[in-house]
Amino acid sequence: MNAITPIEAGVSVALGAPIDVTIENVQKAFGDTPALHGVSLDVKAGELVALLGPSGSGKTTLLRILAGLDAPTAGRVLFGGDDALGLSVQQRNVGFVFQHYALFRHMTVFQNIAFGLTVRPRGERPPKAEIRKRVLHLLDLVQLTGLDKRYPSQLSGGQRQRVALARALAIEPRVLLLDEPFGALDAQVRKDLRRWLREIHDRTGHTTFFVTHDQEEALELADRVVVMSKGRIEQVGTPDEIYDAPASPFVFEFIGESSFLPVTVVDGAVQLDGQSLDLAALGSPHGEATLGFRPHDVSIVEDGGPAITGTIVTERRHGGARRLELEVGTEKHRVEIDMPVDHSRAPGGQVTFRPHRWRLFPR
Amino acid sequence: MSDGAFTTARLHGASGIHFRPVTMERKRVRLALILISLAFLALFLVMPVLAVFVEAFRGGWPAFAEAIFEPDAAAAIRLTLLVAAISVPCNLVFGVAASWAIAKFDFRGKALLNTLIDLPFSVSPVIAGLIYVLMFGSQSLLGPWLKSEGIQVIFAVPGIVLATIFVTFPFVARELIPLMEEQGRGDEEAALSLGASGFQVFFRVTLPNVKWALLYGVLLCNARAMGEFGAVSVVSGHIRGLTNTMPLHVEILYNEYQFAAAFAVASLLAVLALFTLVVKSVLEWRYADEIAATRRH
Repeated sequence: MNAITPIEAGVSVALGAPIDVTIENVQKAFGDTPALHGVSLDVKAGELVALLGPSGSGKTTLLRILAGLDAPTAGRVLFGGDDALGLSVQQRNVGFVFQHYALFRHMTVFQNIAFGLTVRPRGERPPKAEIRKRVLHLLDLVQLTGLDKRYPSQLSGGQRQRVALARALAIEPRVLLLDEPFGALDAQVRKDLRRWLREIHDRTGHTTFFVTHDQEEALELADRVVVMSKGRIEQVGTPDEIYDAPASPFVFEFIGESSFLPVTVVDGAVQLDGQSLDLAALGSPHGEATLGFRPHDVSIVEDGGPAITGTIVTERRHGGARRLELEVGTEKHRVEIDMPVDHSRAPGGQVTFRPHRWRLFPR
Repeated sequence: MSDGAFTTARLHGASGIHFRPVTMERKRVRLALILISLAFLALFLVMPVLAVFVEAFRGGWPAFAEAIFEPDAAAAIRLTLLVAAISVPCNLVFGVAASWAIAKFDFRGKALLNTLIDLPFSVSPVIAGLIYVLMFGSQSLLGPWLKSEGIQVIFAVPGIVLATIFVTFPFVARELIPLMEEQGRGDEEAALSLGASGFQVFFRVTLPNVKWALLYGVLLCNARAMGEFGAVSVVSGHIRGLTNTMPLHVEILYNEYQFAAAFAVASLLAVLALFTLVVKSVLEWRYADEIAATRRH
């Protein structure tokens, strides 16, 4: 696949004004199996929102309910203040992009992109010349100029997904929905497309939802991230809020790498096995808690002050750092910490460290 | 490591490294297996087909032509074509509808429908014919009413068509269902989200996606419709020039010791079979290519 160059100035897509989307207490059950337990979310016009969660968290179900491909068991969905659930999938006018592209294999790229326009009833269908102009314009936007006569089988995965996006944009959707759009692509192409999708969004300004299980993708691309687990929303926030102030151990663990230790809070101080760790726990309730920290947010302590001491179990190279797996405390809890690459330590040795950023979650 | 492997190879083969692919048999075994397969094919498939043509042309072209154009034979050919022309379109429509329902929708009784489609494969064709005699014959419940209305089903063309439809019921659906299930609902959902109506989705997306498999299924269905013997034999009544299809005509000629004529008509059926096979191979070649193309990433 060709490298994706920045989008040229002058390419623009005609659009209606972007709309707000409101989701109110949406519930969904498949038979007796609940998939969504009352999800509520307000999304402002033009926002790019990531629905992030592990498989089975209900994120794709929520996206399909927004599209009209599934119906909720209860709840309301408003598009710009109007009830969307009363509209069929065709009437809802959403652009949907599938993980496996779902391009029509017997149609050329041109015919694929034009499909949404050519199926319109005679009265609403733009004239042929207009359709042609719009399709070629969209091909420019997704940087596939000149590939209009190719068939999907003659394109790479990244190119196919760009055709799928152009096809979804062709109908001038009110909302753009992307279901794991880069899930089937390899790592380098994903990164290119991610940056490129952000640019397209900034140009076209659609209210956009995209589903992903890749936290890096969600944090990099989205204005706001909705973290979901087991059919519930765990946290909604900007990438900074989600990463720096995770609301639960689940979010902490799902967003980035993490280590946890069971601790006790006594008079506003954190204790491990009865020893103070010199970590101020202001505002945390007295009693049992879980201390969470990220492997790279620790400092090695060599002055003998209060800190966590662990026995090295394994040591391996991890990107630009050296990662140690430690056994800590009398119950030998496993945690991971990062050290500079030039600090090689043999397994069996002792390391003393203190997290300089951490979160406490009462138990 | 590599030194050790080299030494082992040297120990086992006098002329340096000798490697036989793990899935390949010894030369003697291969030869024996190939010969057995070829002999079997020749004895049971190629020779019988050749025999049909040899016997058909034993009396030369004139005798062959006479056997084909003789009025009863011509009537049998016409009837066979008529029966196929009615039953194949019926099963085309039914097969496409059933596959569409089974592959693209979830509903109560789906497993039952799927099993029912296979019923004609598991029931003996003779039973299939008898079912229609029991339903529409003069001794049946419907018999008196049919008679009073002047409708004859059994020992007439309608019965032959019904029996043929029954026997060829599964062919189209069995070709389409696995392919449509594999293709999933993604394309249809995409088309719907782009604003297409149900009809547009079906005719512009679903049907083009399965066109080669559909053609293949129709060919198989047609070959069986023209060649069906058992079920048709029960309901036909063997009235010469009226209710005799080609396979029944072959049997009658054969029983009357008109071997050359029997083989002449039989050779037409054999040609149909060979034609079906050729088109099938071409389609499989074409259609495999298309499937491979859609999976290439």
